[in-house]
Amino acid sequence: MTTLTRQDLNFGQVVADILCEFLEVAIHLILYVREVYPSGIFQKRKKYNVPVQMSCHPELNQYIQDTLHCVKPLIEKNDAEKVVVVIMDKEHHPVERFVFEMSQPPLLSISSDTLLSHVEQLLRAFILKISVCDAVLNNNPPGCSFSVLVHTRDAATRNMEKVQVIKDFPWIVADEQEAHMQEPRLIPLKTMTSDIVKMQLYVEERAQKT
Amino acid sequence: MDELYLDNIDEYVNDQDKIVTYKWLSLTLGVHVNTAKQMLFHYLDHRRKESSAQLHATYLVSGKCVDNGQASHKVSVIKEDKLEDFKSKMSLIVSVHVYSVQKALLKDSGPLYSVDYDAVKDNMKNCSKYSAIRCAGAVPVSSVEQTRAIQRAPSPEPENKRSAVNGSAHPAPKPSTKPQKGIMGMFASKTSSKNQDDGKDVKSEQKEEAPVDDAPKSKPAVKANPMMNFFGSQAAKKPEKTVKQEEAPPSSSSVEQKRPQPEEEQQQQQQQAAVVKPKPKDTQKESRSKTKRVEESDSEDDKMDKKKRRRIKKPVSDSSDEDVIPDSPQQMETREPSPSPKKEIKAVSHSRQRDAEMKTRKRRRVLKSRTFLDEEGCMVTEKGYESESYSETEDDFQAAKPAPKHPVPAKRPASKPDEKKSQKKNSANANKGSKQASIMGFFQKK
Repeated sequence: MTTLTRQDLNFGQVVADILCEFLEVAIHLILYVREVYPSGIFQKRKKYNVPVQMSCHPELNQYIQDTLHCVKPLIEKNDAEKVVVVIMDKEHHPVERFVFEMSQPPLLSISSDTLLSHVEQLLRAFILKISVCDAVLNNNPPGCSFSVLVHTRDAATRNMEKVQVIKDFPWIVADEQEAHMQEPRLIPLKTMTSDIVKMQLYVEERAQKT
Repeated sequence: MDELYLDNIDEYVNDQDKIVTYKWLSLTLGVHVNTAKQMLFHYLDHRRKESSAQLHATYLVSGKCVDNGQASHKVSVIKEDKLEDFKSKMSLIVSVHVYSVQKALLKDSGPLYSVDYDAVKDNMKNCSKYSAIRCAGAVPVSSVEQTRAIQRAPSPEPENKRSAVNGSAHPAPKPSTKPQKGIMGMFASKTSSKNQDDGKDVKSEQKEEAPVDDAPKSKPAVKANPMMNFFGSQAAKKPEKTVKQEEAPPSSSSVEQKRPQPEEEQQQQQQQAAVVKPKPKDTQKESRSKTKRVEESDSEDDKMDKKKRRRIKKPVSDSSDEDVIPDSPQQMETREPSPSPKKEIKAVSHSRQRDAEMKTRKRRRVLKSRTFLDEEGCMVTEKGYESESYSETEDDFQAAKPAPKHPVPAKRPASKPDEKKSQKKNSANANKGSKQASIMGFFQKK
């Protein structure tokens, strides 16, 4: 059908849209599975034709949406290397880090015939994997909070600091404390390769959580 | 039986951290579902005897139970720890078997569906190859029949699914459909036209459902299908609530093929019952407000017509609206004064106006405008009417000029005591109105 090339303005936006939607669902699911918030605020919704748990809390949803809204331009330009969901304990030491590493092929012309359904299938697999990651991870201590970090290539963040994409939603450079974890254990969860994006999900877990 | 299967299952469960459902196993290994169930059972047994492996299992329990005096056949997927409890509640247990084995403790039943989704999708044509459900009369329908069936049952599911897929946290498309839906038929025809894009996905799912629906399912299916139809009719009126439940019925209807229903089915039933109760009340209210709308819309399956009519009517409605509102303090007998049933009044006036010819419309405006001329407070509004009714003429300027002269705040308190006076003066005004009409006519000639 229609072929899109990397130069196409639409291409970058389409990919960014798909990835941001997926990240939103993934973040909600991580919060549910890792019990960062009580399961009562979550509600079953449908994404990629499978049931997923999404939160109903308006402020939480707004926060996640704003976060991803700011990340989207980075993904469009392929500047975002990793998007990390960090779960921290009460003392704000990271306990778990869900790392979504993504990269987009530089120059690729693709045909969108079966592409989207293929991508949907791969993303479905990611979601399924997050649902069962309980098996390989230790339980978190109570009272955890989360934050989202973005690792970018080069100095793309300088633009972000200059231009506030969303008003009153500033992005700051992460502390050493938040970015690094003591004695991390690496647990790979899922990898996917498709025409539009290559993504890897793994979890870094602190050896001793409590 | 070959002992290799134990190793296979072990690999899937422990090495790959998969959730192994019996259906997935049967499709992967190419065995009959009953064999797959037995395999899982043996594996579970084996592993538990060998070592205290961290394995969790879910079971499918199907049997009869008496709920509030009503006997029903229930099929549920139960976590292992709640199995005995659930079994004791059933009056008669028809079957119990292992549904899935996994390493992780599942918090909800969502992943169980996801596991089977891809496997079934890949084997769409022969997904029932290994199934224990058989019917000689179940043959795939021709494509013509399929398209007919899809048009006949234009479930709002596709619309809801589409809106759900587009943005999982986005209820935005639904409010837009809400004010437009008047009658079920209108809604249905609109969704069928919107079906183009995800027609493939939807059709594939409906194909999936259609042949399976034909097969004589076990009793829970019979019970669930009326519920499905119920949701189909409900969804038009309450898209928001039924989004949650629509996911459950489509997932339950396609999960129906494999017979299990999640344990939340009980809660769903209660939710459905709760939704049923407010529903009839809503329909009554909606039907009341809609009868008048039905008056103005003759036999409208096309919403565009309705929209167009509304747009065309807007200049008319503006004047009639303003006619109505200031009219109301005066003519309390003729019309209901409350501003809240404005729409009803609008609709009534619409219907009256539509019945009448174009000429009578203009006359009406003139009639209304006459009454307020002599009253202090009403003068302002009166001018407003004139300007509206004579929007085509040059009298707008002349009508607008004297309006600001009169005190605007005095209008409201003045209008209330004037109500009674004005009612008496109606007849007097009518006489004057004839004079005014002639004056206006004079202006119009210009």
